[in-house]
Amino acid sequence: MDHSVSRNWRDPELLLKALPSVLLQTTCFIAPLLMTFLLTFQRTRDFQLRWTWDLATWTDVFTKPHYWTILGHTLVMAAACVAISMVIAFPIAYGLSTRFKRWENEIKILITFAFITDATLKTFGWVLFLDKKGAANFLLAGLGLPPESVAFLFTDWATLLGMVYNLLPFAIFTLYLSIDNIDRNLILAAYDAGAGKWRAHWEVTLPLCKPGIWAGSVLIFLLGVGVFLEPKVLGGGTSPMSAELIRQTFETRVNWPLGAALTLVLMTVSVFLVLLFTRLLNMKRAGASA
Amino acid sequence: MTARFEDMLINSLLYGVLAAVLIFFYVPIFTLIAFSLQEGRYLTLPFEGISLKWYGELFKSATALTALRNSSLIAAFATIFSTAIGTAAAIVAVRYRFRGKLAFHALTGAPLAFPQLLLGIVLLLWFSVLGRWFGFNTGVVTAIIGHVVYITPFVMVIVAVQVYNFDPQLEDAARDCGATTWDVYRHITIPLLWPGIFSAAIFAFLLSWGNFYITYSLAGSTRTLPTFIFSGIAVGSSPLYPAIATLVFIPGILLVITAAGLRRKYSGGA
Repeated sequence: MDHSVSRNWRDPELLLKALPSVLLQTTCFIAPLLMTFLLTFQRTRDFQLRWTWDLATWTDVFTKPHYWTILGHTLVMAAACVAISMVIAFPIAYGLSTRFKRWENEIKILITFAFITDATLKTFGWVLFLDKKGAANFLLAGLGLPPESVAFLFTDWATLLGMVYNLLPFAIFTLYLSIDNIDRNLILAAYDAGAGKWRAHWEVTLPLCKPGIWAGSVLIFLLGVGVFLEPKVLGGGTSPMSAELIRQTFETRVNWPLGAALTLVLMTVSVFLVLLFTRLLNMKRAGASA
Repeated sequence: MTARFEDMLINSLLYGVLAAVLIFFYVPIFTLIAFSLQEGRYLTLPFEGISLKWYGELFKSATALTALRNSSLIAAFATIFSTAIGTAAAIVAVRYRFRGKLAFHALTGAPLAFPQLLLGIVLLLWFSVLGRWFGFNTGVVTAIIGHVVYITPFVMVIVAVQVYNFDPQLEDAARDCGATTWDVYRHITIPLLWPGIFSAAIFAFLLSWGNFYITYSLAGSTRTLPTFIFSGIAVGSSPLYPAIATLVFIPGILLVITAAGLRRKYSGGA
């Protein structure tokens, strides 16, 4: 089904369609990233940026363990969010592509709507629900449970709940696409060969949707390291994560070079980890088949 | 008999997880709607009474109305630009082979996996430095640009699915019959891609309408509904904020249902 036509860059049709997005992403994504990098070598004095070209900011970043503790905490939270989201998303995605046929559209609409509603509002909703005097405790008290039995708002657990809540749809969508693309004949062949449901699942379905599992995990991890609403609103700001630290550096301390450096450190470390794990998994697979 | 039992077990397990997840998804949404109906002054339970009073207050609040206007304005422009640019990029990404295709994919898709807050901050730095040089401030225009950067890749992915299922021979046929390039676009390409473009536009509108992170960084002193609500969480105040939140849900519900209906109409007709 490859319909693609070869085009030269001098072809006006290609230029007309490709140029807007290329221009947009170079001037408003790549160029700002480069600028961010250049800013790390400057300094701010009296809330004004000074073009000084020195390494003061980077020395600061690499000598204060404080930044790295927060980074570590952020990475752990993002990894936990990936694991939980994948475990919850798998049965939903699997059901959507194989068993929920009758309600498929309705379920998709419900999930899409929940996904597309702004995170700020939903996070606010969680605060009202989980608060000491919130809806959850009110309902539980109505059932006869002791007062304030739901008391994990403003802890890391609430932050994690918010992260899973906001990122779970990404896991469901990517897993759904990869399970839906599996050739059903392969699974039927496994049944013919005498495999039971569980065995077919473990040995055929699961390995075949590995790329989807991986793509979803990477997406959630990268988005997860950048969350700021959840730790601030649900976590109560008690144990800050990198994005919150970066925001404070810009807003409260008005230290642009430091904020820029921390942004780059966060992105570089996360992308590096993703590449490292991709590499390790590939090596393991290559080793297993050899 | 055991196979059937096993089947039932799997089914009930899957439906059970589905039900739990759907409840999980809707807990905060329904909580907000419930709290918006509180008659009293504070966001505490039990309610003093049920009323629509705060919705009335909402229409008397000048800041809330300005925020509503800004949200609509930004979302309208962001939708138009990101849909146009993203659709063109989708055709390029699926239909053409050219040098640097991989780089094109990476460049146009990259913002998808870039955390929104960081994208907002990086763009804020960029516009602040440019603003210093050329003498402008961040505001509605920079917010629209930020939204377009973030939303265009989503549009590209959604439209690309439609382009992939599109038979280019239809275009060749029209061209053989003497249609000009523009005629082919107007009468063949765009109508056939329309369901994809339309869903993408709706998606774009909702992503922009409800966006917090990018607006927060780039809109300067301009408030949209989500940033207005965020300022309200910080103060922790009246049922006015859940009422706004409920109003923000409404276009979402309507558009998602319309899009699904339209999609079914098209796929049913085909």
